[in-house]
Amino acid sequence: MQDRLHILEDLNMLYIRQMALSLEDTELQRKLDHEIRMREGACKLLAACSQREQALEATKSLLVCNSRILSYMGELQRRKEAQVLGKSGRRPSDSGPPTERSPCRGRVCISDLRIPLMWKDTEYFKNKGDLHRWAVFLLLQLGEHIQDTEMILVDRTLTDISFQNNVLFTEAGPDFELRLELYGACMEEEGALAGAPKRLATKLSSSLGRSSGRRVRASLESAGGLGSSPILLPTPAVGGPRYHLLAHTTLTLAAVQDGFRTHDLTLASHEENPAWLPLYGSVCCRLVAQPLCMTQPTANGTLRVQQAGELQDWARVHGVLKGTSLFCYRQPEDADTGEEPLFTIAINKETRVRAGELDQTVGRPFTLTISNRYGEDEVTHTLQTESRGALHSWMEALWQLFFDMSQWKQCCDEIMKIETPAPRKTPQVLAKQGSLYHEMAIEPLDDIAAVTDILAQREGARLETPPPWLAMFTEQPALPNPCSPASVAPAPARTHPMPWGRPRTFSLDAVPPDHSPGAPRSVAPLPQQRSPRSRGLFNKGPPRTWLQSPV
Amino acid sequence: MSYIPGQPVTAVVQRVEIHKLRQGENLILGFSIGGGIDQDPSQNPFSEDKTDKGIYVTRVSEGGPAEIAGLQIGDKIMQVNGWDMTMVTHDQARKRLTKRSEEVVRLLVTRQSLQKAVQRSMLS
Repeated sequence: MQDRLHILEDLNMLYIRQMALSLEDTELQRKLDHEIRMREGACKLLAACSQREQALEATKSLLVCNSRILSYMGELQRRKEAQVLGKSGRRPSDSGPPTERSPCRGRVCISDLRIPLMWKDTEYFKNKGDLHRWAVFLLLQLGEHIQDTEMILVDRTLTDISFQNNVLFTEAGPDFELRLELYGACMEEEGALAGAPKRLATKLSSSLGRSSGRRVRASLESAGGLGSSPILLPTPAVGGPRYHLLAHTTLTLAAVQDGFRTHDLTLASHEENPAWLPLYGSVCCRLVAQPLCMTQPTANGTLRVQQAGELQDWARVHGVLKGTSLFCYRQPEDADTGEEPLFTIAINKETRVRAGELDQTVGRPFTLTISNRYGEDEVTHTLQTESRGALHSWMEALWQLFFDMSQWKQCCDEIMKIETPAPRKTPQVLAKQGSLYHEMAIEPLDDIAAVTDILAQREGARLETPPPWLAMFTEQPALPNPCSPASVAPAPARTHPMPWGRPRTFSLDAVPPDHSPGAPRSVAPLPQQRSPRSRGLFNKGPPRTWLQSPV
Repeated sequence: MSYIPGQPVTAVVQRVEIHKLRQGENLILGFSIGGGIDQDPSQNPFSEDKTDKGIYVTRVSEGGPAEIAGLQIGDKIMQVNGWDMTMVTHDQARKRLTKRSEEVVRLLVTRQSLQKAVQRSMLS
């Protein structure tokens, strides 16, 4: 059976290579070859692994390579189909609709991914039983490009799974579909029964306890592929760790926003699956898109602009159409050197552009007008291009820009910032952390300061001398206070309210904490805790959650 | 319902006696709580005073023991079986309500409509 599988596998690889060659698509062929080589390397590495973590990493690479190979193959088939249809295809006399405008491409970046977990509170607070650990990672697919995040180890002391990666996809259209898949695997060996003959295994599994027996049976029955079809790309090592698909979701242009948003996850595994994790059912992330029309100039050339009010005075400028504005520079070189433009004309969804054939001023052909409405006023600029060809190309660029804006919708309001993804650091073993909740210090000093503040405000004159019990709190040096002492001044000296109760939400729509083991205890004063990197795991300053619990 | 620490708290309260319902292994009351001294009070949609860190009822399950007993959404819980709930953490509050040995909990709750009703009856 194994030999047969080997033969099938080789035949498949041959077929794939042949198809790539026949299409003469060197780019895709090169990528495919690269993935096939990576896959062979990962198989060898998996066979040589001794430690569970190494095996998990190798299996993850294998899974990613498999997915990439499948997607490239799918792409190859599509292109082959298109080619075949094109050849056998339509008669040249068929005058189809005029070449349809296609929207510009863009860059899509997803970052700060966070998946909340929902442990049973008995597990979480009492901390009894062995610490089960899972290895999880995300697979992101847009079109034919697949990228993966680092592998993160999860145990029940974590409240959510946070990925630090920024994943960037170039060449995305406005109709993109970003598929997100969460894969998980158990850290512990899935039972010594993984290799045992089936009958013995069934006998043993039925005599084990109910839940563990079910798990063992599930792991035995789900023999074969890592989520991909086993016949096409069979797994070489049956004893190795197996990743299961835990959840997936698809994000589109509607989900793009310059901020954090929460999206629903479709859960794909149930409790009997050995790698099941109690997922809350959502994923938070920051999904931004930068269409090329916003970041790169789409047209430039010499223009003559009629100055407002003065009919005869036309200024000669170098216009550059970029994003939602038409920048008019004094000289063509100014655009590159970063000089300020003479003036800027806004171009957005409400702008109206007309090729000025109607109001041709004498001796001024090839004009176009751009009108914007600012409140009550309507501001119109009249521009003259150099020739009919130039006028046509400017109008074309403007129509293309309007089309792009209608397709990319909210991405064209303002340029969304994309941070260049940091170089991937080698995966680190997550140090065993204490429970997040147990170590969240409640700062009585914070509260007391604010409370005496209310006292001072409410009671006014009656509080010249601080109440005697206050001395008990201000003289306590032993209280752990990582916040800078400046924020806890003694009450009588306080004249202005301490900024507390800041409306910061740390519920589903916030920046995730940094789980890297090197994160130091935060010693920075409170206002600096906004940036995720400087935030420590413990001591969050003023409380930011407003939890709700069912009873 | 703001209060000044060190000064006694006065509020018009209603007694609510909830008989817990057994569901499998657990005893449930059929409502959810929010708040606590370790939580951010400005996010509390039910409190009149946004610095109030008390325990509030955020949801009442339909037909559950709490609804039957007369608990309403937005109520602030002052005491549970004699234990104070105005200065507790979220977790302590939850634990005091979900003690396995108690089948009945007697709550003292306060709500704004109660205060207003009393004021109106005093004026008339």
